[in-house]
Amino acid sequence: MSDQYNTTPTSIPLKRRLHILLRASFGYTFWLFAGFAILMGMICYSVLGPEIFKEAVSNDIDNLLGILPRVVAALTLAGFIWILMPRDKCSKFIGRYKGLTGLILAEVAGIITPGGPSAAFPFLAIIGRAGADKGIMVTYITSWALLGIQRVLVWDLPFMGAEITATRFLVSLPLPIIAGLIAQQLPLKIKLGGDSEKQ
Amino acid sequence: MMSPVMIIIFLLPVILGAYAYSRGDESFKKGLIRGLEQLVIILPRMICALIGAEFLALLIPSEVISQYLGNDAGLVAILIGSLAGLMVPSGPVISFSIAATFANAGASMPAVIAFLTAWSIFSAHRILIYEIPLLGVSFLRVRALSVLILPVLSGLLAMLAINLIT
Repeated sequence: MSDQYNTTPTSIPLKRRLHILLRASFGYTFWLFAGFAILMGMICYSVLGPEIFKEAVSNDIDNLLGILPRVVAALTLAGFIWILMPRDKCSKFIGRYKGLTGLILAEVAGIITPGGPSAAFPFLAIIGRAGADKGIMVTYITSWALLGIQRVLVWDLPFMGAEITATRFLVSLPLPIIAGLIAQQLPLKIKLGGDSEKQ
Repeated sequence: MMSPVMIIIFLLPVILGAYAYSRGDESFKKGLIRGLEQLVIILPRMICALIGAEFLALLIPSEVISQYLGNDAGLVAILIGSLAGLMVPSGPVISFSIAATFANAGASMPAVIAFLTAWSIFSAHRILIYEIPLLGVSFLRVRALSVLILPVLSGLLAMLAINLIT
């Protein structure tokens, strides 16, 4: 899926990089989605008639034109955060704090972590090995999953609109910390491998 | 009309871009390239999904959605939304198309929010591809138990927030 791809390494020649990118964007899932859109359009046309079909198409075009600039802006922002964020320093910083301060920092870190799971999960593994407790780890990844800036700007806002997005964002703010507090109370240990057990 | 949210969305990349440029290293160029690459990867599927979802929303009888996921269904809608979110084992393109379809067909906002919360924290592809290989089953167990109540909780909080405002 789209959010599993990392930036292609700059060492690869431009032509080859373009090839990799286009393969990722027009892979078989693209054709599934294209097929889905065409099929739905055909059913719509035959069931609901040409009038409603035309209206839907013009709605689609309006929607896309409205969404496109926002997606471009959001991805540009995510691109800059991706490059500018000092990941090493952040992980050491978070690992140092305990208690509620640690949970709040973990939530903020989750919100500003750009990119998909290929960025967030390795970072989680790093803060875990840098000494963060299980509450901080759970808060971080829950915060990224629910409130991550790229998720909210690229997916929530274009698909769901401003009202649902804002409501979801606000009601979700306490949730990662609640999850972290529950994790700290659970009598279960985490084994990260090559590392001591966490209480 | 530019809403305040839109202004922030367009202003933030400009501010960060200016900062990246002022560093005088490759940051500005690398950031732009990263953004462009993600755009190329995401856009074709996103366009198809949005168009397909729009047609699908017209086709699904909205009585069905509003009966099970609508405002009148209350808590039941939140529970159904949460369960539906657990069952979408894929990336954001599909889950957000479904959520948008639900919303357009009359699902209540708390139900849609519970759906998105459940999918966000339990999507199976992420657990299988990233979480178990990188962090192991013991972490997954702790996390799953810790976040179990969040989908329903997010729906309830959304309901509360909407009731407070209206």
